[in-house]
Amino acid sequence: MIKVIKASKSEKILFIFLIVLTVSTFSSFFLLKNKCLFIDNNDLKNINFENPNNIAVMNLECGNVIIELYPEVSPKAVERFKTLIKKKMYDGSAFYKVVENTLVQAGDIEFGNIEYLDYSKIGSGKSGLGLLKSEISDDFEFTEGSIGFARSTKFDSEDSEFFITLKEIPIYQGEYTPVGKVKYGLDIIKKIKTGNKAIYVLRPDYIKTFRMLEIN
Amino acid sequence: MKILFLFILIFHISHVNADEIYNLIKIPNLEIYKLNNDNNIRYLNSKGDFKIGVDDNITCNKTNQQNLNTKFQVIERNIKRYNSKFLKKINLKYIVFCEGLFISNINTGGIPDNKNRTLILDINFNEKYFERMIHHEIFHMIQNAYKGDFNDQKFSLFNNSDFKYAECSTCSDRLNLDLYENTNGFLTEYSKSIPSEDMAEIFSFLMVNKNLIEEKINTDPILNNKVNFIKINISKIDENIL
Repeated sequence: MIKVIKASKSEKILFIFLIVLTVSTFSSFFLLKNKCLFIDNNDLKNINFENPNNIAVMNLECGNVIIELYPEVSPKAVERFKTLIKKKMYDGSAFYKVVENTLVQAGDIEFGNIEYLDYSKIGSGKSGLGLLKSEISDDFEFTEGSIGFARSTKFDSEDSEFFITLKEIPIYQGEYTPVGKVKYGLDIIKKIKTGNKAIYVLRPDYIKTFRMLEIN
Repeated sequence: MKILFLFILIFHISHVNADEIYNLIKIPNLEIYKLNNDNNIRYLNSKGDFKIGVDDNITCNKTNQQNLNTKFQVIERNIKRYNSKFLKKINLKYIVFCEGLFISNINTGGIPDNKNRTLILDINFNEKYFERMIHHEIFHMIQNAYKGDFNDQKFSLFNNSDFKYAECSTCSDRLNLDLYENTNGFLTEYSKSIPSEDMAEIFSFLMVNKNLIEEKINTDPILNNKVNFIKINISKIDENIL
């Protein structure tokens, strides 16, 4: 005869607890892995812009970053930035240099595209459009979300690489050519993969597309 | 193998210097001391010891805050004498403070670096010569920016034909910085080391004790020519410095 043994109340509670634990472990594993989970998507239809001609949209893994360009501060630099965007030269550009909580850098057209990353030469690539003269503004403050053209140790060596600051960096004032500022989506920028304690990032995040705002 | 080495190099070394000041002037362990100044100079302080240069031949230690606060008043008063246009012309934007500055194990008051627009100053340098040392080092930045005007060979011709400078500033034992009673063409013993140090000594004395030098040149024709040489060439850059 098979004797039916009924589970006690405490055994039932333990069983339910184990099921809940298993479900929550699995779900949190998948949820936590998704770094974009709590990021707001910046829907362009819901935003009005004062100067739509100077708005650029950078699409990253976690969504759209809306950038306002400042041609009145750095006319030549902004013109170059727009040219690179319109030619789609920033598409696929890797954020190969990321200083945690400080800045992210991308825009090496020649050696920094996700399709053909060359770590031995990255940071020295050219766009083919020539070097720019630095447009230094002693008044422009590099605060959280500011965008500037990167350069070599010498001035007048700007080309296509740009950086976005993740905090106020007062020493950059009067040192780098300002291009614009992130209007929406700084939280997306902050999710860009870092190299932990290294500056250069292995298997970096990259720009999916970079476009000027389409005005209807 | 080459690629592996490169990866090891990039990912294990680069993180050490991953700060925004290092990115600009290539000196680690610095913090902002005073940023906004009328002549746009920026003062930086070493919060930790640092080693830079070829084979880390330049070393300096972090500053004591109280010591720096005291010395800064002297430094600022002297640096304020240079306007922003002049500083831009001579490629000077950052002044780095540290204590115990050595280059190749030789103690020095300052190290100018035109490429990175930086002057490193040892705030513990002998107080007797401290103010003059600041201008002395600034002259080296001037000379580096205007090599054609402050030509060593041209300047050497002012000396008597039997006089010879040393091969380098640290190759001789001519290191004393006290002003000669009888100048005979040279203000200090250190002036006799090399032409650029001779010029820097003249400039520094003109900045801190111009009247005394004006007196000396009345009885010293060689020194008179040298002082005029410095004055004329400095006035080409800025008429109001001397």
